[in-house]
Amino acid sequence: MSHWTRRNLLRGMMRGSAVVVGLPLLDLFLDGNGEALASGAPIPTRFGTWFWGCGVNTARWFPSQLGKGYDIKPELAPIAPYRDKVSVFSNFNCILDGKPNLVHWSGVMATLTGAAPLKGGVAGGTSEQPTIDCLVSDHIGAGTRFRSLELACTGQTGVSYSMRAGSTVNPSEVDPVQLYRRLFGAEFQDPNKAEFKPDPAVMLRQSVLSSVKDDRDELLRSLGSADRQRVDQYFTSVRQVEQQLGHLLEKPAPAEACVVGREPGKAELGPTWDVAMRTHDLLGQLAVMALSCNQTRVFNMALSIAGSNLRKAGDPVAFHELTHEEPIDEKLGYQPKSTFFIERSMETFGSMLKMMDGVKEGAGTLLDNSLILATSESNFAKIHSVDNLPIMVAGSAGGKWKAGQHISGNGDPSSRVGLTIQQVLGMPVTSWGDGAMRTTKPISEVMA
Amino acid sequence: MMAKIKSGRAFWLASAAAGLIGLAVIAPVEDVTAKSTAAPSVAAAPPGFRRLNEAQYIRSVEQIFGPAIKVPGRFDPPLREQGLLAIGDATVTVSASGIEQYELRAREIAAQAMAGGKVSVPCSPAAGAFDAACAGQVLGRFGRLLYRRPLANTELSAVVAIAANAADVNHSFAKGLEAGLSRLLMSPNFIFRVERSVADPRAPGGYRLEDHALASRISFLLWDSSPDEAMLDAAARGDLRVPAKLQRQVDRMLASPRYEQGVRSFFFDMFGYEQFRGLAKDQAIYPKFNSELARDAQEQTLRTIVDLLVTNRGDYRDLFSTRKTFINRGLGALYKVPVSAAGVDGWAPYTFPVDQPRGGILSLAGFLMLDPTHEGRSSPTIRGKTVRELLLCQPVPQPPPNVNFALVQDVTNPLYKTARQRLTVHQENPACAGCHALTDPIGLSLENYDAVGNFRTHENDAKIDATGTFEGKPYTGLTGLSQRLRESPEVPACVVQRAFEYGVGRPAAGGDADWLEFAVGQFASDRFRFSALMRRIATSPALAAAAPPGPVTTALSYDKHRRNR
Repeated sequence: MSHWTRRNLLRGMMRGSAVVVGLPLLDLFLDGNGEALASGAPIPTRFGTWFWGCGVNTARWFPSQLGKGYDIKPELAPIAPYRDKVSVFSNFNCILDGKPNLVHWSGVMATLTGAAPLKGGVAGGTSEQPTIDCLVSDHIGAGTRFRSLELACTGQTGVSYSMRAGSTVNPSEVDPVQLYRRLFGAEFQDPNKAEFKPDPAVMLRQSVLSSVKDDRDELLRSLGSADRQRVDQYFTSVRQVEQQLGHLLEKPAPAEACVVGREPGKAELGPTWDVAMRTHDLLGQLAVMALSCNQTRVFNMALSIAGSNLRKAGDPVAFHELTHEEPIDEKLGYQPKSTFFIERSMETFGSMLKMMDGVKEGAGTLLDNSLILATSESNFAKIHSVDNLPIMVAGSAGGKWKAGQHISGNGDPSSRVGLTIQQVLGMPVTSWGDGAMRTTKPISEVMA
Repeated sequence: MMAKIKSGRAFWLASAAAGLIGLAVIAPVEDVTAKSTAAPSVAAAPPGFRRLNEAQYIRSVEQIFGPAIKVPGRFDPPLREQGLLAIGDATVTVSASGIEQYELRAREIAAQAMAGGKVSVPCSPAAGAFDAACAGQVLGRFGRLLYRRPLANTELSAVVAIAANAADVNHSFAKGLEAGLSRLLMSPNFIFRVERSVADPRAPGGYRLEDHALASRISFLLWDSSPDEAMLDAAARGDLRVPAKLQRQVDRMLASPRYEQGVRSFFFDMFGYEQFRGLAKDQAIYPKFNSELARDAQEQTLRTIVDLLVTNRGDYRDLFSTRKTFINRGLGALYKVPVSAAGVDGWAPYTFPVDQPRGGILSLAGFLMLDPTHEGRSSPTIRGKTVRELLLCQPVPQPPPNVNFALVQDVTNPLYKTARQRLTVHQENPACAGCHALTDPIGLSLENYDAVGNFRTHENDAKIDATGTFEGKPYTGLTGLSQRLRESPEVPACVVQRAFEYGVGRPAAGGDADWLEFAVGQFASDRFRFSALMRRIATSPALAAAAPPGPVTTALSYDKHRRNR
């Protein structure tokens, strides 16, 4: 496939059709094994989280058989084409140990931070520890322009499950047009362009940010202890943007899979089902472009808020309310209207996998070189259960993760999944989590 | 609490007499200090660190650089904590992507300010030369407005150094100043309201808020914007520690046209109006709804509030009964009332006739449609919760996590026709009944108004039963509820609590209870005039109270305290 053809294909995609295109790294840039660039730099490993709200129906989602080649139940059907690349975890729990079950909050925070939170609920809350994407991006994200990208599909920037400890979420990009401009606007440097000249204006901007850090000491002296942590987070953010600017001053490494399409057209945003799905696919395509162009190594996608407001157009009741109000159909054994949204959520995750698996990199695909942690905040949302949380990990981290297994945690804390991910990504952690969620036991079955 | 209100009658008479002359309607003329010595103290907290919200940021920039400045970029989302965004502002920080946006904004604002001649430069150095004294003068002046306090010498010289470097690289003095302004705009001293406390020589061992920090508290309370130069000058002179001079500043601010914005901002926060952003209703079910109608609904209530409380210096409680409002074409169609010629093109004053089912802010679309969690129907639970939490300052507990709804749902007959029928299940389940008894009776009595505010008598062909009870007293419909609220002592007590919390940026604590009861008594003696309340708070030692920086103790929450009494 010629360079020109791929560009055209991608442009077609960005006009709104849902074609998924492969963007292979030319073999020229790879060494003989197809696992490293000719420069000797290995193909980077990427990390993502993918969140959906309001859980699953246990009997229709979790496989019965453990290990490789697990059986696919109806709600997991959309991931069947990727079964060998998706690990499913069952019987991993949010262990509250006396902490409150904060509805639509405790479950997701336990899995993502390794700590059951103390404050929050259906509208969000505070976090005792940073979410795993922050820890991972501190480790693998410093070399790219953006440490991470936060994305949400219902038009609300506050919908995000990425946060440092405290109550400030990393807000989500919700508009594909805005995201496109942030990623590929004037500041974007095509990694495959031959010429490069650092911009002195960027250096000045960097010196302004560097000087802002001088304000720190005086602030710490004058404020109360609770505010000192917020001051420090502010300066951590300043430092990150300073580093971001630093990357604009260096000639970017070539990335042959990098092809930038046109700016997407303006479109409606919101929580109606079809709109949110289209937004997901556009944001997802842009995230895939950002990953393959080395603009970031980490992303977080939230399909909706945990107490999901996804809704069918014309239907007075949204997903979250349905889970609580809709009776279980005796014949079917589940709530049919709520289950519609569970099934569509899994289809949307399948769409994300398809986009990532469509990008060829070395001997595999972008998906193979990633780990995507997909989870929800509850098992059965109707009763807010946080035992047996639905958790998947897609990809194989460039061969460091043995993909495609169904593994039971036998009631262990769900933080074991996060600890395993961190260890597989090469982070020097031997334990993770707080209180009853603390674990020192990675899931050895998936570690290559 | 009632005892305190009654004991306040002694000075109600004094201020009522004073109220007959001009401005004194807002400002009782007797010496506030004499009274404030009698005022109980509050639980002093360490100085605050509050992120400017989007509107405050924009308003401050416009105030400092002129109204033509365009402020670009996305702001981190606001956070509502314990009833107020103003409290949430004191718990958030800025994410990395947020800093990215502030950096972009700072550059664009600085460029516009320099290009548009909004920054007067008292020197014109030769091309390629840098006049450090002149740069220091310009950046010091804007630095003081942006930081809301004078810059220390070391702070200013660091900013001048940035300007010198940028001037050198660009061979332009103006470009240097632009970078300096950009640096000031990126500082947490601008993006946050940074407070300081100082030892109070008049109370050995005690602390108070530093004068400039107090100037900001007053200015954001009354204008929802940064203090102007006159206020900063007053702070620098120590005027804010002299009661008569403090009152003069506060009265000047209350008389300013900016005060109207301050009142709008307070009620925007207290009534949860950030939820209007992105509010959606289902088009098939509510064809009249669109984002313009939502904007109009918000504006209508804010106009009604300003007219009653600012223009007419009215009684806060009358917000629940007044038939006087403003209307435009879109709202006329929603309320099914004729709109005068003035209202066709814009806003016209309007008084609902007594045969219309409208009166008081609860009956306006600004309350009735404001539920972002239900796009296709009204939710009596949410409406009841809103009344409890926002208007009465009574937090409703979260639903229990492990309720088994299967026990209470009639699987064979899921289609209940009215909300009252649907919600009966809550009352029958002991795990739900406690909290739903707080919310549902209020919300169900408002069911004659659908999710956008249309009046209706039936839902799904079944007649709506709009009877309710509030604090044990029965009533019928929205008018009945509004009358109960108009009479409830909790309603004025709540607005006093919220105004105090809004001013100090923290939730009321147990140690504030005596002061709050005292303030509620004063509010009653001021005949519940909202501007009198704002004046009392702005001039009160309670607003200026501060603890030294240091470990924060967890105080017993005021609500809990109040319930335990």
